[in-house]
Amino acid sequence: MNIEIKDLRFTYPTGLEAVSGISLTLEAGEQVAIVGQNGAGKTTLVRHFNGLLQPTSGSVKIGDWDTKKTSVAKLASRVGYVFQNPDEQLFSRDVLTEVTFGPRNLGYSKEKTDGLVERALALTELSDKTETNPYDLSPTWRKMVALASIIAMDTPIVIFDEPTTGQDAVNVARIANVIAELQKEGKTVITITHDIDFCAENFERVVALSKGQVLLDGPAREILGQEEILAQTYVEPPQLTRLGKRLRLKETVRNQEEFLNAIARRA
Amino acid sequence: MHERLSFHIKRDSFIHNLNPLTKLVLTLTLILIAFTFPWYWTPHLLVLVAIIPLSLLGKVFREFSVTALRLILPAAGFLFLMQAFFQPVGSDVIFKFYFLDVTQESLMFAFRNAMRVFVMVSAFTLFLVTTHPSELMSDLTRRGLPGQFSYVIISTLQILPQIIAKSQTIIAAQRSRGLDTESSFFKRAGSLIPLVGPLVFGSLMEVEERAIAIEARGFTSKQTKTSLHEIPDPSFDQMLRWVLVALIILSIALNLWLS
Repeated sequence: MNIEIKDLRFTYPTGLEAVSGISLTLEAGEQVAIVGQNGAGKTTLVRHFNGLLQPTSGSVKIGDWDTKKTSVAKLASRVGYVFQNPDEQLFSRDVLTEVTFGPRNLGYSKEKTDGLVERALALTELSDKTETNPYDLSPTWRKMVALASIIAMDTPIVIFDEPTTGQDAVNVARIANVIAELQKEGKTVITITHDIDFCAENFERVVALSKGQVLLDGPAREILGQEEILAQTYVEPPQLTRLGKRLRLKETVRNQEEFLNAIARRA
Repeated sequence: MHERLSFHIKRDSFIHNLNPLTKLVLTLTLILIAFTFPWYWTPHLLVLVAIIPLSLLGKVFREFSVTALRLILPAAGFLFLMQAFFQPVGSDVIFKFYFLDVTQESLMFAFRNAMRVFVMVSAFTLFLVTTHPSELMSDLTRRGLPGQFSYVIISTLQILPQIIAKSQTIIAAQRSRGLDTESSFFKRAGSLIPLVGPLVFGSLMEVEERAIAIEARGFTSKQTKTSLHEIPDPSFDQMLRWVLVALIILSIALNLWLS
């Protein structure tokens, strides 16, 4: 399911224009990372995808639905949104009820809901914690509960707002795994992130925003190589990419594997 | 994202630049005179000659009148109606409503009380809008108010806008999970639980974290504390405060003397 953004502008009631003319098309099944400095308009942009914010001008279409004409509750069946802070969305007494909440809201049948919940719990490695109260879990596991509660809604588009902030390496790997699995299922994954290594390792397409506009948009390999332009929005390419540049490797490398291959070829 | 920590609106005006204590005394003066001065039209006159000019002087008239219209008028209006109907004074019946008599006296009485409440709430609104809470508290603490006390006040002033901002995020998060907050009343009533839970939990955790944070900065230390931010208290302010206190005493004395 495509997301089509046409000349989107958004001004907050305070008068701050957070998005000033963005046009983008995100294809079905794409893995897109959105990067940029604080205040570049990342969260404002993605909150338009499920109708939490309405364009001041321009339009956002999710498949054939115009977000202006569709309620948030209805858009929730197409766009799942994992908020940055899990504590702002968890309320149930146990993990199972929490994860069931979303699919039940969407009106799926009992069998379908059970299947989706089970799959989401397995994907986030929560299957042995279904009876636990989310608030008895550590913050990293609460994050996984929040992820599971959105994944269980089985939406064709999933948005993650800074999924790796404050997470340890083990959990970052878990989140990367979840994203890879979603990709296999053909879902569109859109992630806002400040973690440029995470971005380099898991995403094919990178959109860099600056001051409410698209600064760069393209394959991660191309974007992450453009150190000078990225600097405008205070994004630094991953360490290995920079090291590769210093070593004058021919291609831009994004992760360990590419780096080692490039070195091996040169040696 | 755009959290407002208090009702305070940052402007540069004569009122904003007064010492916080002066503004507090001014507020109390307005309220006490409205309640004690033994002349019927006192609260009405105060609104016209004090509250409205002060809001203009403080360059917050527009915001202030919006708040007054939205918040205070309905409450004062309700009080007016209740008292007009249920105050059993006077014999000069203007009209009857079933068994309830509305007399001229009860109407006058209700009008004055509604205006008194209006003065009280609007004076405080004006105070909150023109005074930064932390400025007020650091000034009062410097004058010897216990830190615990100012903490209670300041967190009270700050907590409401924070809770509003927080609840908006929570509502957004739950709507994203398909929670219907826009349809029938019963559906919406049922959807309260997912909103209240995170709000209460989150607020409790915030309180604890804040307590730890301030203790880490020596909150209960017995040493004399210095302040990075000195709040000026010119002699004009001190004089003004004494004048205001004198007005309060005069008003109360007149009230006692005439009753």
